Amino acid sequence: MSKLLEVKDLKVSFNTYNGEVHAVRGVTFDLNKGETLAIVGESGSGKSVTSNAIMRLLPEPHGFIKEGQILLEGVDLAKKSMKEMQKIRGKDISMVFQDPMSSLNPTMKIGNQIMEGLIKHQNMSKTEARKTALELLTLVGIPRPDVRINQYPHQFSGGMRQRVVVAIALACNPKILIADEPTTALDVTIQAQILELMKSIQQKTDSAIIFITHDLGVVANVADRVAVMYAGKIVEIGTVDDIFYNPKHPYTWGLIGSMPTLDSNDEELFAIPGSPPNMLTPPIGDAFAPRNQFALEIDTVMEPPMFKVSDTHYAATWLLHPDAPKIEPPEAVKHRMQGFAQTGTKGGGKR
Amino acid sequence: MTREKLLEVKNLQKHFAVGKKNSIKAVDGVSFDIYKGETFGLVGESGCGKSTTGRTIIRLYDATGGEVKFNGEDVHGKKNKSELLKFNRKMQMIFQDPSSSLNPRMTVLDIIAEGLDVHKLVKNEAERKAKVEELLEAVGLNREHATRFPHEFSGGQRQRIGIARALAVDPEFIIADEPISALDVSIQAQVVNLLKKLQKERGLTYLFIAHDLSMVKYISDRIGVMYMGNLVELAESDELYNNPIHPYTKSLLSAIPLPDPRYERTRKRITYDPTVHGTDGDFELREVVPGHFVRCTAKEFERYQNEQK
Repeated sequence: MSKLLEVKDLKVSFNTYNGEVHAVRGVTFDLNKGETLAIVGESGSGKSVTSNAIMRLLPEPHGFIKEGQILLEGVDLAKKSMKEMQKIRGKDISMVFQDPMSSLNPTMKIGNQIMEGLIKHQNMSKTEARKTALELLTLVGIPRPDVRINQYPHQFSGGMRQRVVVAIALACNPKILIADEPTTALDVTIQAQILELMKSIQQKTDSAIIFITHDLGVVANVADRVAVMYAGKIVEIGTVDDIFYNPKHPYTWGLIGSMPTLDSNDEELFAIPGSPPNMLTPPIGDAFAPRNQFALEIDTVMEPPMFKVSDTHYAATWLLHPDAPKIEPPEAVKHRMQGFAQTGTKGGGKR
Repeated sequence: MTREKLLEVKNLQKHFAVGKKNSIKAVDGVSFDIYKGETFGLVGESGCGKSTTGRTIIRLYDATGGEVKFNGEDVHGKKNKSELLKFNRKMQMIFQDPSSSLNPRMTVLDIIAEGLDVHKLVKNEAERKAKVEELLEAVGLNREHATRFPHEFSGGQRQRIGIARALAVDPEFIIADEPISALDVSIQAQVVNLLKKLQKERGLTYLFIAHDLSMVKYISDRIGVMYMGNLVELAESDELYNNPIHPYTKSLLSAIPLPDPRYERTRKRITYDPTVHGTDGDFELREVVPGHFVRCTAKEFERYQNEQK
């Protein structure tokens, strides 16, 4: 597999009246061709800031990349000028935003919004671009594209609008598609359609997807690999099976335990106590320690490095240190991991 | 089983006028009962009328038709001020967005005590403060929080304030309209655990409106599924999930992604085609299995019953 994107020790900060907010504090990951990487975490964990930094959409100069590299096929995006970035956005990397209502221009016809990128990046003539736009609308499953192409965003429903946004994002066959909570604003049935759409298009075009979400159900559905973010850092990264069936970081335990499954009964949900830290003054040591019932003494003093669990699976928790006491995940979470495994072998045949 | 009915909703309708001639039938004949001490979940896609149902029950909207009976008394219809007060005290609401449902210019103390003042439940300032502090602790906040303003709190804490406000007047029945949709996953579990704890301690009855089906299944005793202003299926929550009968419920259930990659790889989605029911027919809620109601025509009813055997 070839590495398409490498993010190395990315640090992003925002200057505010109260001081510097350390939103992303050293994120490292890479993305291979044709794979889907899901980034999960609570709001404020820095997952959206990471993706905006890759697209260089930070509100500069208040928000800026402090350190680190973003290598797209070996070229550092962090050093590009805004003008150079305009040639990359939409062509090499494109983005699908959370809210389809506000990411489309309400005064422009759908067709023109799709054609915009084609004409700019691929030097198409208007008639060519229109033809491609029609194909794209068919690809994303919008019925009667020849009529719809002349309509405005308000004439579309939420799910249809998100399809249009996906069509725009795909117009120039980007190498990477960043989807920032693309289905959070949509209903479950529409969400399922959009996810299926994105997967089928990925198979056709072999593009890589960075999928940002906080819904673990969606992650299980789309992702090949998962990165769990907390307080501006990746605390655990691995294949989707590593994360769901063999989680090592207590924060991942909490995330998995806090979601009820359909066959969970009356037991209390495993909630993570407290709330995320203030990134104005990031805590010393492990940022998750104050909310972690398994925190060790060292957690308050020193930050844990990434420990290797397997070739694909890494986690940043002192619990993985050879000298650490052996701690099992809480019962509720263990039960859930086993429960998952069972429904898996049954093939979900319950329904 | 002899359970006491707390709330009876009969053929509730709420139509919104669109221009002079047209109207949208947001809720078009919904009937269900809620028993004392239970949690009744209402699920459906956005625009199906679930929130409108909740808001009409509590009289935030006037019903176009139908009846809502609370403890045997009609909720709608003419009432004088004292009757309204008495009724408002028994029924409270928790809203979806904790930042827009709290007045930004009032302190937490005043927000929570507003109900106490309206209903004249406290005699003096000291008693008022003591009651608010007790409520804050009941929902897991500190008594020092009373003097602060809503913007100083996180989303989960604000939702706790909303819950404390609803509890202030000792209601019997609480309508929770998507109380956790705006919160983070880890915080959702905290709030749901809190709601469950309070229900146990105070014997509350909930109407829980949400679109997150796994959470609804977890918290509810019985669930009603709404589609286009109608209740299409109603059953005990386990029964509904293990044995969905209405094709819409089946499709809704098949669309939920579960946090289990192996299951997700094999999940098959069922799409709902409303034309399977035909256009004519006497649609009504019928009891296919005891306690399990499905909206169907007489013909479908026969078929569903045969399938269940």
